[in-house]
Amino acid sequence: MALHNRLSVYLSGVLLSTALAGSAFAQSCSGSIKVLAQTRDGLTLAEKYKGEFEKLSGGATFDIDYLNENDRRAKTKADASTVGKYNVYYIDEANVALFASSKWIVPLLDYYPKQYDYSDFDPGRQKVATYDGKPWFAPLTGGGDLLVYRKDLLEKAGVQPPKTLDEFIAAVKKLHDPANGVYGIALRGQRGSGANVWRWMPYFRGFGGNWFEGNTPVFDSDAAVKATNTYLDLFKYSAPGTQTGSWDESVGAFLSGQVAMLVESTPLVGLALDPKVSKVVGKVGYLPPPTPLTGGGYGHGLAIGAKANKTEQAKACAGLFIGWVTSKENEQRRLDADQFSELNRTSIMTSDGFAKKYGADLGKALADTAKVTAVNFWQDPQWPDLGDHWGIELEELVTGTRKDVKGSLDELNEFAKGLMAKRKS
Amino acid sequence: MKSKTSLPAVFISPSMIVLAVLAFVPTVFAINIAFQDKQLSSEDSHYVGLANFIALFSDRRFLNSIVVSLTWEVMTVVATMCIAVLLGILMFEAASARMRNILSVVFLIPVLMPRVSAAFVWKFAFHPLFGLAVYPYKAITGQPLDLLANPSTALATVAFVDVWQWSLFFSVIILHLLESLPHEPLEAAELDHARTWERYAYVALPMLKIPLISLTFVKMIESLRSFDLIYVMTRGGPGIKTETLDMYAFSQGFIESGNISYASSMAVLMMVATTIAFTALWKRVHA
Repeated sequence: MALHNRLSVYLSGVLLSTALAGSAFAQSCSGSIKVLAQTRDGLTLAEKYKGEFEKLSGGATFDIDYLNENDRRAKTKADASTVGKYNVYYIDEANVALFASSKWIVPLLDYYPKQYDYSDFDPGRQKVATYDGKPWFAPLTGGGDLLVYRKDLLEKAGVQPPKTLDEFIAAVKKLHDPANGVYGIALRGQRGSGANVWRWMPYFRGFGGNWFEGNTPVFDSDAAVKATNTYLDLFKYSAPGTQTGSWDESVGAFLSGQVAMLVESTPLVGLALDPKVSKVVGKVGYLPPPTPLTGGGYGHGLAIGAKANKTEQAKACAGLFIGWVTSKENEQRRLDADQFSELNRTSIMTSDGFAKKYGADLGKALADTAKVTAVNFWQDPQWPDLGDHWGIELEELVTGTRKDVKGSLDELNEFAKGLMAKRKS
Repeated sequence: MKSKTSLPAVFISPSMIVLAVLAFVPTVFAINIAFQDKQLSSEDSHYVGLANFIALFSDRRFLNSIVVSLTWEVMTVVATMCIAVLLGILMFEAASARMRNILSVVFLIPVLMPRVSAAFVWKFAFHPLFGLAVYPYKAITGQPLDLLANPSTALATVAFVDVWQWSLFFSVIILHLLESLPHEPLEAAELDHARTWERYAYVALPMLKIPLISLTFVKMIESLRSFDLIYVMTRGGPGIKTETLDMYAFSQGFIESGNISYASSMAVLMMVATTIAFTALWKRVHA
């Protein structure tokens, strides 16, 4: 009887605490939370559980407008700076500084429910979501770079998986066999701070390049020239379509079995393992980027819009939505649905389920690459301006409409000086 | 009598007021901010006089975009009109009434496709590894053909898609214009032993001068608004080889810098230039 009573008290306590926790989650939100996002499998999956969010929020639902990466960047900027009709914006490492400093978004943790445990996110992703000491978005994807290579092609050619850049370049040249439909590498040539510049930066930073020394731009350094020349030399072996292409073209060529190896962002792994989109399943190996290349640390995620959420209640509802979408429960669903690139939480990526699904090799490669992952870009509101400017010059160099590498970097230097001068005035 | 004449004005006024507001408010706003230093990321702005306009003329991308826009305009308008006229005559000469109807329906399909869809379809068709349009070249030579990444072919390749959409549609219009002509002048020319091309060059087409000029103007205006097609297919690349004025203005305003005032100054210059050019052309052809 005593035991029965104790059990009853215990169960009542559990029920009460659950109810209290529930009430802490529950909000009186209504209407539709408007989200402007980039197409992500994780978000599409979350849409299937709209009812769950409706119940949790006390009646609110959500609508997501999807755009591709470049269009999403342009439209979020245009919307946030003018009408501000979206409650939640999908932003990324490249524009978080701009959005935060322009006050287009609000500090996330002020409205992100504690129960969803922001500290569980991968530390690298937390780092790129942080500006001015505060996190501004909850990650939906992110990571660094991996060298992804075709084990079968390397074995056939007697090439060891490269660990250094010299070995990598030699392997690219040896494996390049266009007559048989195999290209040594796939790079990104398309203009953009998140496109060609993103893939060029690991060379620039790996060779010791810096963006600024104090407030003085130093792109005309030997490191920048060497990085650009190396990048352009490698482009001779890059798959057709990549000269003016970005992630889609580069990864598409690899997944169709026409590229021997490439250094790309970690979500490539999820695609390479998916038989629905990959012809190279079971033929792929992973390593950290060859030394001295730094991995391009990045993160994309959801932030709370300032203009559309006029009241504290509206901000809290947007925060609840972001918390729910990026929750451990939803991330577990993404793991179950084989959405590798949509995983961001340490608790999920170190789980038995993750190890069972993706194997020890990938786990080791991810752990190793985390050690060389760095923030390669200039963490500043003016980064998109500077990065996109260089992106155009770099695309011109790649496609041969411009020849002078040093002259191009000098021009970039002058442009950066102009940016700094505007800031001072 | 007075009430009879003022009644149309009463009915027209509301729509004219709405049209005036819709047309003039954005225009006045654009002109106003073209003289400021407004940035997307900042609420503050100041009047800077003609600084934006002066800066434009030392901006290599702006100067390049003028050349690209003019090339695009000439290329797409001339090619569309030539192909449309030739196809229209060919259908009029060689096709039966039933075949003309079938071809008319088929030729309308491209222009009914949304521009963005057409751009994506053709972008994929021109993909050097997977594209159907360049497959024959790859099969014969063993080499991939990347027309959109080649600085000397990219603009012409995008222009091909624009011409594909509009020339087929215009050929249908021209066919029906030819069908509406009186038969007698053409028969008289035939009796005078005029060759086929002479009948069209000296009789039929001069009779269609006014509608053909109108079609040319429609295409000129349409070609100025090809932003979506170019944006999807090349984003202005390779480098800046297909970057038209509207692409560059959008890029400055919303992709790269958020330089709204600088972008507006380009828009204002475009507006002034096109208004002058179109008015002059219109007056010249109606003189």
